[in-house]
Amino acid sequence: MTATIERPFPRADGPAKATGQADYTGDLTAPGMAHGRFLVAGRAHARIRRLDVTAARTRPGVFAVITAADVPDRLYASSGFVADRPLFARNVVRYEGEVVAAVAAATPEAADAALRAIEIEYEDLPLVLDVERALQPGSPLVHENWAGYEKDGEIVAEGNMAARSTIVKGDATAALGAADVVVRERYVADMIHPVPIEPHAILAEWSGDRVTIHSSSQVPFAARTMVAETLEIPQHRVRVVVSHLGGGFGGKCDFHYEAHVAALARAARRPVRVVFTRREEFTMPDKVGHGMVVDLETGLSSDGRIVARRGRILLDCGAYAADSPVLGQIACMEAVGPYRIPHVDLDARLVYTNRVPSGSVRAPTGPQTCWAVEGHTDELAARVGLDPVEFRRRNLVTAGDEGPTRQLFEPNGALRALDEAARRIGWGSPLPAGESIGIAAGWWFSMPSASGAFVRIDADGRGRIVTGAQENGTGAVMALAMLAGDELGMAPEDFAIVYQDTDAGPYDTGSAGSQTTFNAGRAVVEAAREVRTKVIAAAAEMLEAAHADLELRDGAISVVGSPDRRVTIGAVATQVQDDGGLLLGAGSGTAPTKPEHDASACVGRLGFEAFASPTFFCQAARVKVDRATGVVRVLEVAAVNDIGRVLNPRGAAGQITGGVVQAIGTALTEGTVYGADGRQRNAALLDYKLPTAADAPTIDVGFIEAPAANGGPYGAKGVGEPPIVPTAGAIGNAIAAATGARVRRLPMTPERVWRAMREGSDGAADPGGPLAPAAASAGEPASGGAVPVGASAGNRR
Amino acid sequence: MSHRWAAPTALADALGVLATDPGARPVAGGTDLVVGSRQGRRPLPDSIVAIDRIPELAGQRADPDGSLVLGALTSHAWLASADAVVSSWTALADAAAIVGSPATRGTGTLGGNIMNASPAAETVGPLIVAGAVATLVSSTAKRQLAVAEVATGPGRTAATAGELLLTEVRVPAPPEGSGSAYVRLEYRAAMEIAVVGATAFVALDGSAGGDGSAARATIREARIALTAVAPTIIRATAAEERLAGRSPDAAAFAAAGQAAAAAASPISDVRASAEYRRAMIEVVVARALSAAARRAAGEDVPVPASRWAHGQEV
Ligand SMILES: Cc1cc2nc3c(=O)[nH]c(=O)nc-3n(C[C@H](O)[C@H](O)[C@H](O)COP(=O)(O)OP(=O)(O)OC[C@H]3O[C@@H](n4cnc5c(N)ncnc54)[C@H](O)[C@@H]3O)c2cc1C
Repeated sequence: MTATIERPFPRADGPAKATGQADYTGDLTAPGMAHGRFLVAGRAHARIRRLDVTAARTRPGVFAVITAADVPDRLYASSGFVADRPLFARNVVRYEGEVVAAVAAATPEAADAALRAIEIEYEDLPLVLDVERALQPGSPLVHENWAGYEKDGEIVAEGNMAARSTIVKGDATAALGAADVVVRERYVADMIHPVPIEPHAILAEWSGDRVTIHSSSQVPFAARTMVAETLEIPQHRVRVVVSHLGGGFGGKCDFHYEAHVAALARAARRPVRVVFTRREEFTMPDKVGHGMVVDLETGLSSDGRIVARRGRILLDCGAYAADSPVLGQIACMEAVGPYRIPHVDLDARLVYTNRVPSGSVRAPTGPQTCWAVEGHTDELAARVGLDPVEFRRRNLVTAGDEGPTRQLFEPNGALRALDEAARRIGWGSPLPAGESIGIAAGWWFSMPSASGAFVRIDADGRGRIVTGAQENGTGAVMALAMLAGDELGMAPEDFAIVYQDTDAGPYDTGSAGSQTTFNAGRAVVEAAREVRTKVIAAAAEMLEAAHADLELRDGAISVVGSPDRRVTIGAVATQVQDDGGLLLGAGSGTAPTKPEHDASACVGRLGFEAFASPTFFCQAARVKVDRATGVVRVLEVAAVNDIGRVLNPRGAAGQITGGVVQAIGTALTEGTVYGADGRQRNAALLDYKLPTAADAPTIDVGFIEAPAANGGPYGAKGVGEPPIVPTAGAIGNAIAAATGARVRRLPMTPERVWRAMREGSDGAADPGGPLAPAAASAGEPASGGAVPVGASAGNRR
Repeated sequence: MSHRWAAPTALADALGVLATDPGARPVAGGTDLVVGSRQGRRPLPDSIVAIDRIPELAGQRADPDGSLVLGALTSHAWLASADAVVSSWTALADAAAIVGSPATRGTGTLGGNIMNASPAAETVGPLIVAGAVATLVSSTAKRQLAVAEVATGPGRTAATAGELLLTEVRVPAPPEGSGSAYVRLEYRAAMEIAVVGATAFVALDGSAGGDGSAARATIREARIALTAVAPTIIRATAAEERLAGRSPDAAAFAAAGQAAAAAASPISDVRASAEYRRAMIEVVVARALSAAARRAAGEDVPVPASRWAHGQEV
């Protein structure tokens, strides 16, 4: 090991992308292809009184118009949690982007005209938009039949509460009662969009009873499973292939519209392609970051040690559960943060509303929760008169500490990341007028899951890697060549990679959960080792040497100490082939296990009650606040990360740089605004404001390498999600340092900053009384612990 | 429905199509017309006359009386960098320099910006305070109209049917001892739209002392235009009047900002509440006045003034 890893290498997909030659799904065509369009509800909650597509079907150039009547009558659970969703609306629409019908026509214009010819009448139903009111008795229900849905046995649901998770340890009530200082705060975050620049696109093509679906998916295997299930066809007749993917950020995780387009192509008897408009990318991406309400109550000892934390978290689920039921657990873990807290009582409720469904967008719940926790942490530090860095130093976990469910921490970089980020940003040094600094720490998990790979070396001496892994642009799949090369003494450029095709590669979870290098990397290493064993056996015979005396380097096998006793790997491959064999390897490796823990006091245990191979990180931001307008410019961010062993420094730094820029949007400008009618008011890039290149600050990336004993290849941990987690918290703390005002609404828009400066806070400060202890019983009524916005809001300062 | 398309290379041919085809609309850069239709704001017209190859609409010239004549096809990129604009009609350069992105500035035109009649159109405030005059032509007539009178409401202009072409804009020479600046509130550093914007023109008497400072001068005349606070871009006359005869200092600028804000009736929308908009009018007016006065006194305030005024990059 170490011949090739840790060195920069050119990405195999780089030239095609940089020169514009790379094909994305929306670029694909097929002979005779029709253009598909969806009819969506355009209203947030309504009963369908009448739906008639006869006129639309007879329009010129229209090949097919399909509705719920044309697909199996069943509800599906896209991530296996709650079967609450039909492909096409049946009787009721629950958010404005819900698909009612689909049209295939010769041209996009003919398809649009057919959409307009569909006759539909609705009866509007009461809207459910406020997560707190949704939990109160008597609230209208998003799903009348919630109790009848098939669901995972761990899910605790009640009315509009789609799921509930708790993380509980010790006795928070007693510890809060005995604490020297108790601080309570409420933080509220708006819904955020992943906004990949490539919109969703799907091209489905049938050949006999087999369908090939080209989809801009981050999770082709999950898509395949769900197409098969919803259309009631065997999985082996479904092939999902992904072209180059133009970003996903989780928005293309889960199963989206593959089955709709497959059904449409079958009805149209020809290939059909659907490419989303930017507006559709906002109203029906099916996957957004949760709007959240985070109430925190923390007890301190007078020397600034956290003794207990209670948290009540509401997550806006949107209309369908998708993969959200598991995310409340993650939010609870994030609400504890990377801190040593003996008594914790965290409770997250996932609440159905008439909004676009939420789900696992890059580090789901992480940026919002960490922003709340880290703002809260600075407030705690202030209450005991400690510098924010010193306060964190006293409370961050170190080796041997216990996590929220008593997982034991290995040696890790949490403390060193804090000190290094503080050093890099110049913590404590004088600043130019108007500038200020904030700091935030966080933690995230790595995600063990199944993945497989085939590696072979052909007689030309070059390698091929076949993986089920999905390249969403991060370079993680491209870097698999580096791992195979490392095992085989070859350069990454010596490998071709076949990927993101469910008929070619073995199962993989997809580009989700920061898992590609962690799991697919392990599979490739194992497959390459099998090849290596075969190479060594053959080379030993050719060189008449003992196996143990051979080394693989620079594309050749040589005897240690006698470099001229050497054969190239191509010569070995040729010899093996001539002898009737081949150099093939397959691997899946053994997934790392989760650390031991005790979640017996928790409910809604769906897999994240302990964090496997946790990453730790700290970011410090230097900002300038325009005090007259509230406009915040981020000038510099120091981002220091323990992601375990850093295998591909260029790729890892790319993830961190991009993550920081994305998170600046989350912090300052990105957030969906809903009208009282339940429709998005800024479903376009002019008013949903992503940061531009001109907004990107200087980003100083650092690594603290603390290899995980039970982690990914060579001690690696996940890197894709962590970088976006702490940025908003650091910026929020910098704004508070500059203005003396705490902005408790995310995004911290200029107007919100301006209001906070005028009012001392933004009116969302205090949840209004001690938080109710969580009832441990799974059957507690949903409304029992809902926290009212109290009369004392805003009076803390 | 049949779509029609013409790409004439002579002005007369374009006017001919516009006169005979009632559905015809000109398109210059297309950054409003085409982008807007893609976003579903307004369908493309049935008949399109591409005017980007008409030489009579291109180019710029300085007239003997000192005024600058800008062809309708003048790009934002040109306005942002031409020496004449930067030195004498600086607010116009400020405005053009912050339109969209480099691509938008290279493609979008002055004529399109004016005729699109958006209340947020960047170049219009600077043209209004400069007293610019547009030339509108039809196949039979030609008339001059103050730029201030071209837009009559969002997306609506004073152009009559058949008079659909703006050929050029004449910007009179600024008086001695004057300066101008355009400042907009912006939430991010590029690809923005004005939440509120202000153009200030300040002419000083007694001019600058030897040290270049404006402090001992008095304001002979001030003109202020407000962007994105009303259905069209408006003058803030009450605020202007308060400034005449006063010394160009922070107190005067703040008072003018307050007067401008008091006279405006901003709306609440997804970009800002009315309350915040009103407060921000005060800020951008005061900042634009400050930048304009410094320029009038011969100080160098870099283009675009927005960056400078918001203290982000001095
Ligand atoms: C990404 C992006 C960012 C933008 N940012 C800004 C910004 O910051 N500030 C801003 O003000 N604008 C902005 N715009 C809008 C647009 O770019 C400008 O208004 C531009 O000046 C329009 O010029 P055009 O030549 O592209 O107009 P077109 O789209 O070609 O035409 C616009 C309208 O004017 C009419 N028209 C065009 N030329 C003439 C003529 N000579 N005579 C009569 N009518 C004519 C057309 O019929 C049409 O109605 C942005 C646009 C985009 C796409």
